[in-house]
Amino acid sequence: MPDIDPADHDIAELGPMLKDVEDAEELRAILEAERDGQDRDPVVTLIESRIDAVSETDEGDPGEIDPAEHSPADLGNLVRDIEEPERLEALLEAEEAGEDRSSAKTVIENRLDAVRGGDREDSEVASPEERHPELDHPTADKRHVRALEGGVYRDMWVYCETQHGELIGVSAEMLGKARELMDDYNERYDADERVVAVLIGDGVGDLAEECIALGADVVVYQEDERLERFRHTPYTEVFCDMARGAGHPYGREDRLKKEWRDYDEPRYTVFPATNNGRDLSATVQAELDSGLASDCSDLYIEDADISNPAKTGEPGTTRTFERVLHMKRPDFSGFEYSTILCLDTPAREFHPQGASVIPGSFEAPQPDLGREGLVVEHETPIEEEWLKVEVTDYDRLEGGIDLSGHDVVVAMGRGIGSDPTRGIELGLELVDAFDDAVLGLSRGVITASYEFDGHVEGYVAEERQIGESGQVVEPELYLACGISGAVQHKVGMDESDTVVAINTDPEADIREFSDYFVEGDLFEVVPALVDSLESGELRLGEAVAADGGEQR
Amino acid sequence: MDTFVLTKGVPDFREGQVSFDEDGHLERGKTPTVMNPNDEQALRAALQTRVRHGGTVRVMSMGPPGYKEVLQEAMETAYADDLTLVSDREFAAADTWATAITLATAIEHLGTPDLVFAGFKTADGETGHTGPQTCWGLELPVVTHVVALDIDPEARRLRAQRLVEGDVEEIETVACDLPAFVVADPEFEPSYRTAGERLEHKALRGQARERAENYEDHLTMLDHEQLNLDPDYVGLDGSPTIVESVDPIPKAPAEREATAVDPEDSEAMGELFEELRPHGTATAAEAGD
Repeated sequence: MPDIDPADHDIAELGPMLKDVEDAEELRAILEAERDGQDRDPVVTLIESRIDAVSETDEGDPGEIDPAEHSPADLGNLVRDIEEPERLEALLEAEEAGEDRSSAKTVIENRLDAVRGGDREDSEVASPEERHPELDHPTADKRHVRALEGGVYRDMWVYCETQHGELIGVSAEMLGKARELMDDYNERYDADERVVAVLIGDGVGDLAEECIALGADVVVYQEDERLERFRHTPYTEVFCDMARGAGHPYGREDRLKKEWRDYDEPRYTVFPATNNGRDLSATVQAELDSGLASDCSDLYIEDADISNPAKTGEPGTTRTFERVLHMKRPDFSGFEYSTILCLDTPAREFHPQGASVIPGSFEAPQPDLGREGLVVEHETPIEEEWLKVEVTDYDRLEGGIDLSGHDVVVAMGRGIGSDPTRGIELGLELVDAFDDAVLGLSRGVITASYEFDGHVEGYVAEERQIGESGQVVEPELYLACGISGAVQHKVGMDESDTVVAINTDPEADIREFSDYFVEGDLFEVVPALVDSLESGELRLGEAVAADGGEQR
Repeated sequence: MDTFVLTKGVPDFREGQVSFDEDGHLERGKTPTVMNPNDEQALRAALQTRVRHGGTVRVMSMGPPGYKEVLQEAMETAYADDLTLVSDREFAAADTWATAITLATAIEHLGTPDLVFAGFKTADGETGHTGPQTCWGLELPVVTHVVALDIDPEARRLRAQRLVEGDVEEIETVACDLPAFVVADPEFEPSYRTAGERLEHKALRGQARERAENYEDHLTMLDHEQLNLDPDYVGLDGSPTIVESVDPIPKAPAEREATAVDPEDSEAMGELFEELRPHGTATAAEAGD
């Protein structure tokens, strides 16, 4: 029996313990004990990686590879030097006959495809130098081309943004969505891939348990007091260093193998579409030489049949891409929804597939305090070179007007255009006629460049905007005066209990999401409502009242 | 201070009708092109730098030859000295990363200046990625979401205020040495504090108007051969992402059945008033009694 009996420990304890064991024989004994005992897959993998680490030998000669002696990630590196398909086939057979690890087979198969594809390409397609003799340096040598060949990609990585030592709301929302996506993915593709939460900052390790409770299987974190505030370059470098596996051709050379992973880069990455999160998503994906969609409002994973020749390599053909992250987003200034895909081309691998998501797009999950996960501290050496931008001061933005929390919201739209100042005055009078109301505005009023008189000018500001790019309100009563009702406005108010629209255009979109639609001019209807509310009884304008009297 | 400003032509969404080809790509030819509205702040930031500290402002865009007029508009906005249009069929349908590689190469080709300015999102793609990614290609320090900017030309250092979002909104002051890359926030405000600055501003405006009238004399076009860019790594072929499909935003289904109210019909107005009355000041006063 070895000194360490694996049956006495869970995997989180075993990781650090095994790190101290240098003797491969001892490790094999532990492996044997585990196999005979509980035979937990992750523990077996963990011990095997450690055996690989201690028995690492000269990798320069790929001549005698026994796949069983290497982790899949190592194997990926080793097979890159093999050019002969026969040797790769033999290796594949050896793996199948031996441990038959699916990730190991994938790396060999990928290399086999690359080698065979290379043969084919050589005969049909000239090299870039031959194809473009007018260019003296092929762009492929440029530093930003860092795609892998035959890379292994696994797991969904979620960047969990923090502020002042707390996860921000969208981080929880992303973890919940990632959990849902990967549960479904694992079932559909008979896989065992994980949600990996990434935390970078000062003291962020304390949030690891919360990330697990919200759905993460693994939390990778790096703490450093210089990273207390978001800084583009070090955050990008640390994230990419975390993302790259040992032996990655563009990674640090001294990167140690990690027991918990056997892949080169994440399959998917997800970031929050906040100012800093969106920036990070752009630079991380650039550094990893892959693509992303920003400000997504929905994500799903499925196979995609693609006939775009840039991706299939051949016009007129359709190729099925598997396990594609579909990223749905509003764009073209809100005129359309686009679905964006990040796909490999025959010449270049574009992974991870990245996305940033709009805060509030997904429900935050209920934390499950019983969930278990692996917490991994990461230590990228921070280089002075990365710290050129210093944060010298920061302050909470005070002020702004909170339109939520009132019983009534009176919102004014471009219907005020014939007399904008009077329109705002009427809105304010109506606000005052209610017990607890606040004035809101449609985007149209803010962008219209109306001329307002001084006493109402201060009310016309973005801080009163309701809608997608403004505030979201859900009062008991919402009055939309002269608002046509664009979709972007709707998302800011359609949870209101009762919606009353006043509009001269009977076809206005807002009619579709109103409970009462008053077809009339706000310059006439609003004064009547003010009068009625102040007196406590219905008072229509004089002419109107006479007319109404006749009807009775 | 020598600066570059990046700008882009976008479909004029104010005109409404935007059309797409069968592959789901925007048909730019059928929609009028205008300068991206968010780039105005980048141009104004460059102009502020020029007015306060002298030097040059050069504007660069990538797009079809028809974008020249967008550059004219940019020249008028930033009082620019010259214009560069990176234009080649090989660059067409590039996503942000393929665009960033191309722009970074073009900037290096012309000689990296003290400051590069870019705007936030474009009105069409709305990604907000091209600025940070171009900067990553240039390996310059980057400051984004900038609302105010100060430069110390002697120390060759910039100080900026930038907006941070999240559960709390913050304003952050950052500093870094030049050269640097600045992404202006839509809320960026230039400021001219001294009479001298305001006079300089006016003088530059006069000169810029003349230049903008003959803007084509100040325009340089660059293609992939001049930039030595392998077509496999730019444009659609070099783009990691594609647009799989573009769908109209579904018109929200009618979730509420609106009761039509004629404002002259006192019965209908009476019914509506019953909904409002409980929230009115008069009612609240009664309840308080």
